[in-house]
Amino acid sequence: MSLSQLLGFDTLQKDYAFDRSASTGYTSAKKIPEKWVATTCGYCSVGCGIELGVKEGKAIATRPLASHPVNRGKLCPKGLSEHYIIDAENRLKHPMLRKNGKLVRVTWEEALTTLVEKFRATQTKYGADSLGVLSTGQLVTEEFYTLGKLIQLGFGTKNYDGNTTLCMASAVSGYKTSFGSDGPPGAYEDMEKADVVFLIGANIADNHPILCQCIEANPHKTVIVADPRVSKTAMMADLFLPLKPRTDLALLHGMAHILIAHNMVNREYVDAHTNGFDAMVEFLKDYTPEKVSEITGLSQELIYKTAFLYGRAKAGFIGWTMGVNHSTQGTATVNAINNLALLTGQIGRAGASPLSITGQCNAMGTRETGFTSGLPGYRKFDSPSDRAELAALWNVDEARFPAKRGLAYPDIVEATVANKIKALWIIATNPLVSFPNQDTLRQGLSNLDFLVVQDGYHPTPTTEYADLVLPAAIWGEKEGTYTNTERRVSKVNKAVEPIGEARSDFNIFLDVAEKLGCREELYPRWTTVEDAFNEWRKVSEGRLCDYSGISYDLLAEKGAVQWPFTEGASLETSRLYADGKFEFADRRAKLVCEAWQPFPEQPSAGYPLILNTGRTVEHWHTRTKTKEVPILERLSPVAWLEMNPRDAKLAGLRSHDPVDVVSRRGRVKGVELRLTEIVAPGQVFMPFHFFETNVNEVTQGAFDPISREPNYKQCAVRIERTGATK
Amino acid sequence: MNLPLLESDLVYMPVVLRGSVSPAEALVQIQGEPRTLIPTRPLEEGEQYRFHFDMKKCIGCKCCVVACNEQNGNPAAINWRRVGEVEGGYYPQAQRYHLSMGCNHCVEPSCLIGCPVEAYTKDTRTGVVLHSADACIGCQYCTWNCSYGVPQYNAERGVVGKCDMCHNRLDDGAAPACVNACPEGAIQIEIVNIAEWRKDYLSANAPGLPSADDSISTTRVTLPDNLLPDTGRVDTHRVPLEHPHWPLVFVLVLTQLSVGAFAVLWLLDSLTPGSDLFLSALASLGLASIALGAAPLHLGRPAFAWRALKGIRRSWLSREVAALSVFAGVAGGFAGMLFLDLPGRPLAGFLTLLSGAVGVLCSAKLYMVPARPSWNTRYTLAEFFSTALLLGSLFVHVMSPEQAWVGWAAAAGGAAQLLTQTLKFLTMSQSETFELRASSLLLSGIVRRHFLIRMGVLVAAIVLPLTTTSVALSAATLTLAIAGEILGRWLFFVSVVPKNIAAAFTTGGRAA
Repeated sequence: MSLSQLLGFDTLQKDYAFDRSASTGYTSAKKIPEKWVATTCGYCSVGCGIELGVKEGKAIATRPLASHPVNRGKLCPKGLSEHYIIDAENRLKHPMLRKNGKLVRVTWEEALTTLVEKFRATQTKYGADSLGVLSTGQLVTEEFYTLGKLIQLGFGTKNYDGNTTLCMASAVSGYKTSFGSDGPPGAYEDMEKADVVFLIGANIADNHPILCQCIEANPHKTVIVADPRVSKTAMMADLFLPLKPRTDLALLHGMAHILIAHNMVNREYVDAHTNGFDAMVEFLKDYTPEKVSEITGLSQELIYKTAFLYGRAKAGFIGWTMGVNHSTQGTATVNAINNLALLTGQIGRAGASPLSITGQCNAMGTRETGFTSGLPGYRKFDSPSDRAELAALWNVDEARFPAKRGLAYPDIVEATVANKIKALWIIATNPLVSFPNQDTLRQGLSNLDFLVVQDGYHPTPTTEYADLVLPAAIWGEKEGTYTNTERRVSKVNKAVEPIGEARSDFNIFLDVAEKLGCREELYPRWTTVEDAFNEWRKVSEGRLCDYSGISYDLLAEKGAVQWPFTEGASLETSRLYADGKFEFADRRAKLVCEAWQPFPEQPSAGYPLILNTGRTVEHWHTRTKTKEVPILERLSPVAWLEMNPRDAKLAGLRSHDPVDVVSRRGRVKGVELRLTEIVAPGQVFMPFHFFETNVNEVTQGAFDPISREPNYKQCAVRIERTGATK
Repeated sequence: MNLPLLESDLVYMPVVLRGSVSPAEALVQIQGEPRTLIPTRPLEEGEQYRFHFDMKKCIGCKCCVVACNEQNGNPAAINWRRVGEVEGGYYPQAQRYHLSMGCNHCVEPSCLIGCPVEAYTKDTRTGVVLHSADACIGCQYCTWNCSYGVPQYNAERGVVGKCDMCHNRLDDGAAPACVNACPEGAIQIEIVNIAEWRKDYLSANAPGLPSADDSISTTRVTLPDNLLPDTGRVDTHRVPLEHPHWPLVFVLVLTQLSVGAFAVLWLLDSLTPGSDLFLSALASLGLASIALGAAPLHLGRPAFAWRALKGIRRSWLSREVAALSVFAGVAGGFAGMLFLDLPGRPLAGFLTLLSGAVGVLCSAKLYMVPARPSWNTRYTLAEFFSTALLLGSLFVHVMSPEQAWVGWAAAAGGAAQLLTQTLKFLTMSQSETFELRASSLLLSGIVRRHFLIRMGVLVAAIVLPLTTTSVALSAATLTLAIAGEILGRWLFFVSVVPKNIAAAFTTGGRAA
């Protein structure tokens, strides 16, 4: 501080001056940019249109893109402060290679050569599939498409999956098994047009706050929220269902039971468009209101009310997120949601849809184009015709595609533990915070011969484990497209140059392909992401996720559009399955029934509480980005553990006491205790964003048998005062 | 909670098969209800703008906070708009609601009334309470006066700042940043008739907000219909210590010492003429001068300390500055008369005492503000005058140890202080006011040792002056007592629990 400041002659008037500009109105002068660059928010899958304000080559402001159909001139607190993530202290500016145990700065040339040599050496020694790749939902679609080709055709390993498996894989599996294909059928508009909005395991007020305005704008709604915790979203409900943890499947079956028993089934729809009704009727006999009431802890009256409200709705919407997906029965629960929609014909109409509100900004992009749970264009590994079609499109030998998918994320981690995967490439994800039961992961990573982490930031808990760290350009520094929850494709634009020597993931993939000697084969004459997009349009043509009519010019001119979008298609809101034709061979949907089971790790004498995990509105995932945003850190600086005061009283604990969360797998030390009646006695809740107090030290590595999604939401723990035991 | 499903619907009648519903019929039409979030007509005479906050609509996303910081270019630690939490009920009938507050643009703004430099104005047209960074000297008195914690000090700038309702945007026909950012339309600018609002401002109150009586807040809060009666703040379990304001600790203790000393000197001079009191007078004048000279160190902009006299018509801070300056002047005169052995000293000494007493009174009144409950009691007056009596007497006692009554006066000062502190603590600990109870819990909690030492020192300061005529021991007693009073004044500052809006649990205690 200068003497002039100390004496008070200088009050930093310039820094705190205000000004008017045509684009901003009256505002802080330092927040008035030279230009605004229209793009799409890079956090969650709501897919808000956003403008980045640029001044002197730096991003200095954000504001909602007024013309964007999704967010209607609003952004959440993360979007409103998103410019702070770009020129952040923690950005990685050059490649780093581990030499003599330390990460040191190297050239791109050395980094890329090392990557290819090490991966090739590992594959030569242990086989092609000894290379694993863990990617993300955060890249642009063009990059996912490029990466898929690189991994499958370039490196020839099928052990490639995204962190999307930790997030919405159950929705994917549920859609596939019910409707014959992935692809969320509904649109945000449905929340505005439905007369019954049923949110199950979805705390949108914290996780997708911008969607709340769709509900707020709906004048005729009844909002039903099912959640074991009185979440911010529960506070929006007309009818709140405080069900016991992970009894959602029983509730959904119970609702279906009542729909059938009380003749609320749309028989015409069921007969025309579904298979499996008779078996379902038989299966549901067990799920009487009495039994479901016992399982869920909800009164029969509440269950009846919910079933009748949904069954009698003119347009019934069901939205869900991680409460459903993060479960060993996630796929079955998604099936049960789809069953309700099919039984009542609540699908493919305005207001009527079962909609998985997905996680990351471009989880959809990797689902559609990736090589993870399917071939690009929602093609199936096990379909010979799909493989042949893709091989023909790419002009490659069909034999280069595996006939079944490779290992899913948790199985890749298992394979590192079993020494079957010896080299790993982690791209834009931070498993050292996000993977359940961190001990297993640490053990697996320590077995590796070579670990490459490609990220925008360093250090992160994951980059610290790496042998090679590649600096990636992030949101705001690169171009492409994102596809959001409602299948809307939005343009992502570059506002500033990548920091330091960082390169876009797209360019990194092309550079690796170059070193690998397959660039021209895989990416003939490609120079820009638009080349990738145009090839993807052709590959998607005729598929459910048809991008063929979408071009960068169209996106620039008309704004974000929903797929399927063929040449000259209408810009109206679209829904899948409006004609009742599904993606199975006989075009009929399946009513899939799976019996409800209790969650795997029930509380016991030693671990008497059920731990639930979730988010807070200020932070994104593992906080790699939002930790760099001072205002978000100010609003949510530390993790906390919510506990019911009645449980705390027994243990002699008080609010703000530091406590340890202990499970059979580990211990989270020194979490700030928050006593609150919004959690049920017998349950505790903790946010998962904070690596300093990482809840995934204690969560359980139990996975859905179909989707392979972890059961993050329930495990048995005990709470100890920090320091009480050594 | 208007469920379309009535209890009677639970008579489970078979319903008609719904296969015939066509998509067109099923589509529920949206009536686009125009929502005006800023006034659409000009203000009339007797009206002002105000915030309306709808607690039902707020989802606690804090977009308003981020947007406000961006609009005003504030660092993350300063939040002119804040979001707090309130909770009520028992699971599953539990509730957590949020409270988003900027400035309440009060009818009787306590920030404005207290400001010594008239940096605050209430805009005659819009009623917006405006603050001028140019006029502000960074005394932070407004931050003590506001019951809502609205004005916040920016140390980097040396001035405070606060929400101005983005009135410049309103003038341009644009919504304030918070209003604009809220995805739920929970914040709105309305027009209020001031006279009518004065008569009934009940809807300015809400769980988690201090009473609107302090300043007649104009913010109207719409509460949820189903709000549970036990709904209250969640930030009461951890109360942090307030800022110690070290320069002010010394200013208060030393000026009070000086005032007390001159009172004793006047009595000594009047009762036993011929005593050599000049050195005592000079020394205590010196201490007062050092204290007053050091006072501007407390300011964010010490170079502009002289402006503090501007608000003498309504600010106790201005009055304090004036009264203590007058005291220093008159005391200087009295000391000069002692040196020159001029006549008329009883009158001059009395005037010194009078101006000093007014100064101490102003000091006390300055702290007795509704927004700081543990200061806003007569114990503050008693504490300050007890300090004057204790330290002033001890100070003279060192130089004139032969006067036994001076020792007794010191002991009386010590006893008065001991009684004051004991009664204050007991009263606070029994209070129904949260902030008072919390203050007593700080004294018996985090700063318990400090508090016990302070009380122990007082006992010593009562006993020692009565038992000694030794200069050395008297000097030691004085030093001990000064240390004790400095500790006491530090406790005074750190243990006050200000009124504030409910904070969020995770932001750690009661953020300013």
